[in-house]
Amino acid sequence: MSAKLIKEANEQAARYFSRRHFLQNCVTGLGATALTSLLGGCNLFSSSGNGGGMPQSLNPLDPKAPHFPARARSVIYLHMAGAPSQLEMFDYKPELQKLHNQLCPQSLLEGKKFAFIRGVPKMLGPQANFKQHGQSGAWVSDYMPHFAGMVDEVSFLKAVQTDQFNHGPAQLFMHTGSARLGRPSTGAWVTYGLGSENSNLPGFVVLTSGGKTPDAGKSVWGSGFLPSVYQGVQCRSKGDPVLYITDPDGMDRDLRYQSIQAINEVNKLEYEAFSDPETLSRISQYELAYKMQISVPGVMDISSEPAYIHELYGTQPGKESFANNCLLARKLVEKGVRFVQLFDWGWDAHGTDEHTAVDLGMRNKCREIDKSITALLLDLKQRGLLDETLVVWGGEFGRTPMQENREGKEMPFLGRDHHAEAFTMWMAGAGIRKGVTWGETDEIGFSAVKGQVAVHDIHATILQQLGFDHEKLTYHFQGRPFRLTDVGGHVIKEIIS
Amino acid sequence: MYYYSTYRAVLCACVFMMAAAQFAGCSSRRQVDYSSEVKPILNKHCISCHGGVKQSGGFSVLFREEALGNTKSGHPAIIPGDAGRSEFIRRLHSKDPKERMPYKSAPLSKEEISILTRWVEQGAQWGEHWAYVAPAAPKEKEAGIDFYINEKLEEENLGAAPAADKVTLLRRLSLDLTGLPPADNMMAAFLADNSAGAYEKMVDTLLASRHYGERWAAMWLDLARFADSKGYEKDAKREAWRYRDWVISAFNKDMPYNRFTVEQLAGDLLPDPTDDQMIATAFHRNTMNNDEGGTQDEEFRTAAVIDRVNTTMEVFQGTTIACVQCHAHPYDPFHFEDYYKLMAFLNNTRDEDTPGEYPTLRLYDSIGRRQVDTVAAWVAGHAGKDEEKEIRDFLRTLEPKIHAHDHDSFVNGELADTKYLSIRNGGSCRLKDAPVNGRGNLLMFYWTRNDGGSMEIRANSLTGPVIGRTRLEKGRGIINVPIEPLEGRHNLFFVFRNSSLEPLQSVCAVEWMAFREDLPGKGEPGYRTVETAFMKLVNAAPESVPVMVENPGEMFRPTHVFERGNWLVKGEQMQPDVPASLNPFPANAPRNRLGLALWMTSKENPLTARVMVNRFWEQLFGTGIVETQEDFGTQGFLPSHPALLDYLAYRFMNTHGWSMKALLKEMVMSAAYRRDSRSSPELQEKDPANRLLARGPRFRLTAEQVRDQALAVSGLLSERMYGASVMPYQPEGIWQAVYSGQAWKTSEDGNQYRRAVYTYIRRTSPYPSLVTFDGSSREVCLQRRIRTNTPLQALVTLNDPVFVEAARHLALKMKTSGGANKAACIRAGYKAAMFKDIDPARLGILEKLYAQAQAKYSKAPKDAAALVQAGEDAHLAALTVVANAILNLDEFLSKS
Repeated sequence: MSAKLIKEANEQAARYFSRRHFLQNCVTGLGATALTSLLGGCNLFSSSGNGGGMPQSLNPLDPKAPHFPARARSVIYLHMAGAPSQLEMFDYKPELQKLHNQLCPQSLLEGKKFAFIRGVPKMLGPQANFKQHGQSGAWVSDYMPHFAGMVDEVSFLKAVQTDQFNHGPAQLFMHTGSARLGRPSTGAWVTYGLGSENSNLPGFVVLTSGGKTPDAGKSVWGSGFLPSVYQGVQCRSKGDPVLYITDPDGMDRDLRYQSIQAINEVNKLEYEAFSDPETLSRISQYELAYKMQISVPGVMDISSEPAYIHELYGTQPGKESFANNCLLARKLVEKGVRFVQLFDWGWDAHGTDEHTAVDLGMRNKCREIDKSITALLLDLKQRGLLDETLVVWGGEFGRTPMQENREGKEMPFLGRDHHAEAFTMWMAGAGIRKGVTWGETDEIGFSAVKGQVAVHDIHATILQQLGFDHEKLTYHFQGRPFRLTDVGGHVIKEIIS
Repeated sequence: MYYYSTYRAVLCACVFMMAAAQFAGCSSRRQVDYSSEVKPILNKHCISCHGGVKQSGGFSVLFREEALGNTKSGHPAIIPGDAGRSEFIRRLHSKDPKERMPYKSAPLSKEEISILTRWVEQGAQWGEHWAYVAPAAPKEKEAGIDFYINEKLEEENLGAAPAADKVTLLRRLSLDLTGLPPADNMMAAFLADNSAGAYEKMVDTLLASRHYGERWAAMWLDLARFADSKGYEKDAKREAWRYRDWVISAFNKDMPYNRFTVEQLAGDLLPDPTDDQMIATAFHRNTMNNDEGGTQDEEFRTAAVIDRVNTTMEVFQGTTIACVQCHAHPYDPFHFEDYYKLMAFLNNTRDEDTPGEYPTLRLYDSIGRRQVDTVAAWVAGHAGKDEEKEIRDFLRTLEPKIHAHDHDSFVNGELADTKYLSIRNGGSCRLKDAPVNGRGNLLMFYWTRNDGGSMEIRANSLTGPVIGRTRLEKGRGIINVPIEPLEGRHNLFFVFRNSSLEPLQSVCAVEWMAFREDLPGKGEPGYRTVETAFMKLVNAAPESVPVMVENPGEMFRPTHVFERGNWLVKGEQMQPDVPASLNPFPANAPRNRLGLALWMTSKENPLTARVMVNRFWEQLFGTGIVETQEDFGTQGFLPSHPALLDYLAYRFMNTHGWSMKALLKEMVMSAAYRRDSRSSPELQEKDPANRLLARGPRFRLTAEQVRDQALAVSGLLSERMYGASVMPYQPEGIWQAVYSGQAWKTSEDGNQYRRAVYTYIRRTSPYPSLVTFDGSSREVCLQRRIRTNTPLQALVTLNDPVFVEAARHLALKMKTSGGANKAACIRAGYKAAMFKDIDPARLGILEKLYAQAQAKYSKAPKDAAALVQAGEDAHLAALTVVANAILNLDEFLSKS
């Protein structure tokens, strides 16, 4: 895989070695040749700016070689926005069950701040039944019966820690390495570092479900201070799959093709007169736009998938659902999309109503994701894609072992408050060890006691699998080099094979 | 960006080559120049281990006093005048890989070592970075922009392009000065006018256009990170559009830049500030505000102040100082403490990340203003001028307020959602060290749905004396609670009661309190009426805008350094001051925001004028004279034309008296600006980025201009100015933000065709087509939009219904003009867009497209009707396809 990537990038670089040669290629190709053959020769994105007109000898989205051979070609990141309860899914705590309904010991509360817990809350025992599964004997609750069969494919991280306990900042931290706005997201960094394998599709695609975008808004897939070409492109199940990809009413494919040809023929005249390389870029951007118009709706259409695939994922074409997004994620990485980011909204189980009760609403959320996540892993595996696709699952933080008592009151339903000190994530595929559990929490799941993992460690590990030294993937901004992992980050070696 | 770094490398290489060339030509005794020769070597090879972040071996080359001091070895590494005994030089030559510097990297070149050796021999003097020395009066007599540009062109042996043709030039000028293409009659007048002053007349006309302010506000609002929402999770609506209008109007009035700066940073501290001067201070209230439940207001207040420090230094000083939060600047002469000294200027405002976004300027209607006058007249008559000013100030902002989050020691109650006091029957909370200071009234904003509530205030302890009590009626409003006017500060305990409630119900919600003295003239006839009028005004809910208000003395907020940048770990207290490496603080200026603004707009400040001049230059020419317009420090690029930058900065301050219009006029009157923008492969090879300006500027329009131009040439543009932000067409499903219930509702009555500068910007979900063309989401200050060229942009101008509608309207214009004659129609369409006659080659291409479209639509009349949305007109449909193509031409999307 990695060798292929490096070779590809080197070839690309060689092709563009001589700028003059490159320009000639483009100009002679124009008009004279059919659109399609032209695309092969000069598909460059360009980002001008800075100088305003530097020669565009490299497409910023052309595949680039990472620092060292990569284990992952693509990443699928599944984010459960709102933060799922690890205590009902993966972190089994029989001792907590024994303390159920007892007042929380003062020692756990001293010097701690919670988003909503006030005074002395009660402990809340696990609301799910746990069993060990697979060869590895990993604990999984009966909320996730299908996924329980996959535990030997994944590495669990049981002691992930963050320093943010509000959704917006914590999501920003998880995806941009900073709790404040303005930094590039992981997908943007990856696209900046690696480019994209498929020029007909964006390199970084975002899919949302659950009826809302994440709390922190579109900044969690933004490009921050990186050029906007690296930001995530939201693909949607309803309306245009990519904004403005549909031709206006009454304009058909042929006519769109003809009009782009006319635009580009005039632009070629413009280039001949002004010699501005930006004009050449624009010519290829219009061709790419046309190719996207053809390829994106196809990739985003799941209706042509066979019945057994729909059965496996639990998908229903035309609906906005997490299941559909899982299937789309598989299709996208199959087509060479580098980073697919899924956000599923609705995991904030405070217990203020039925939908946010850990034993009701959250259980339903688990049902929604259980089958489709399992299907995604199986489907990737059967296609031989799991070896080169890194799958990451998690939320922005975890939930407290105490029952939430918002405003010091008893809540109508069972809920848990935000908890930053220990929560569970898992990774699978692309060189991640199989059937491993790393990290441990104390007997009630409050504190991490072993194998602590910081948010920047997650970033460092994702970048590592993609072939990057996280300390070296930097961008110079505001007088200093910035990186995704800021001043932290250690690769989690324990889960890498 | 890859080519960005390549370019940087090329530039660096050039600098070194120049240095090497100079070196080769001179004897080794020649004085070494610190800024251009030594500092680049230190920055590149030494400073990452021996600078502001790390001081390996106890050695740093950032400041002279550090570099000459003792290292860990106990000896200094640099001995001025004695390179032979300087460890610094010896280590460069060492053969031992453990000793040789740079450690674990390639050795320095002979030339580099020679420069450093001679520098130490010559006394190791630290020179000043060019940007930290105020620009001097230009030496050359008769000099102008073209003198400096041509000088460089001659040096490089490049010929300058001739002037652009009149059509191209006026289109360029109009887009640059007003953001819109020229009006048809203006173009006609210009083409007909062959007098020598024809061009200048156009310049003056465009500078006087009301659209001028809209165009330049679009640039400034990125810097001011202006938005219509608060940001973060809830990202609720913010009513700040009056600030946007202030900016437009300030540009249109040609407010001098020094005043423009002072009013935005400290308008509230000017004597008797007008409403406009108060609104200007919303510049720094554009920081984000976090309403998410459970967030600590102090954390996000601190984040906002940090943003203000960074933004102030970036916008007005072109200086990146954010890294100094945690340690001394790695490259530039700013100490760790300098950051907190600057913060001390900005840290003493009343805003505290509350959901009400207080302080807000209350803009009463005419009735309200009359009532204010009545109350003020009473106060003036019964007390004096000072008291009158005090009451007017108070009614303007209802400040200073004490917010609910200042309370603690909750009993049977809490700070609900970390925002409001929420105390149950019999419960209480404490306000520690409340500044009662002899005032006998407490204003309190509360609400409850229940009758029968009450509150009492006890001094010093829960069982202390009751100093005030009140009933809490059902409803919502601000009440006055008379209290015993205790002198000084006291812990006050607020006890809430309502025995009719369920145990978990709270008595009421309280958002803020304020201590007030009685109005003067108590007991005199008419007092009651005035008091009632006062309370009515206090309870009015006029339109408002967030502004800056300084803390009064009793609420002074000290500033401490944050150890390693952590806001929770406070170190030594800091007094407001400016970095010693820049100009001194003006002797008579107050040590507050106003003083800071006066310091920055002093003619001795080396950066303010240069940074702004450079910004205008970048807007007109595509690249700043200093390309890194966000960084004038030693890591930024050197200016391409240093003398020109200084000339313009000096003129901006002294000749033009900070007039931005005069400065722009000087720039657009230059021959360099007016050149034809045609390049050639040869010129492209020599000067690809057009830094030397042998040709005129040519680059893609900004996000705002792309939209506005399409609306303008199709005749859709609404020229209405000012007012609340508008919502042009946006696809369904873009706004799905959590917990807001806000919806995007397409504006009507022409408001959907307003200029882009009036588009509603929600930070977590900005307007898609603007962002696609590199518009800012306005979360933080954006100094420079990096222009990109992507297929998503093509999709916007091809398919976004806004642009399709523009094509439809352009087609109607074409049909009106050319009737059934397709060539005449196409000619008219091209001319409407580009103002010139179409050449035969282009006409041929578009005629072919017309024929293809016409053939299709004559066979598919329903498709024709769907496209034109006005009947089965194949001719009009084909023209719409052609118009859509015209609106997508590179020449149309570019300024040429």
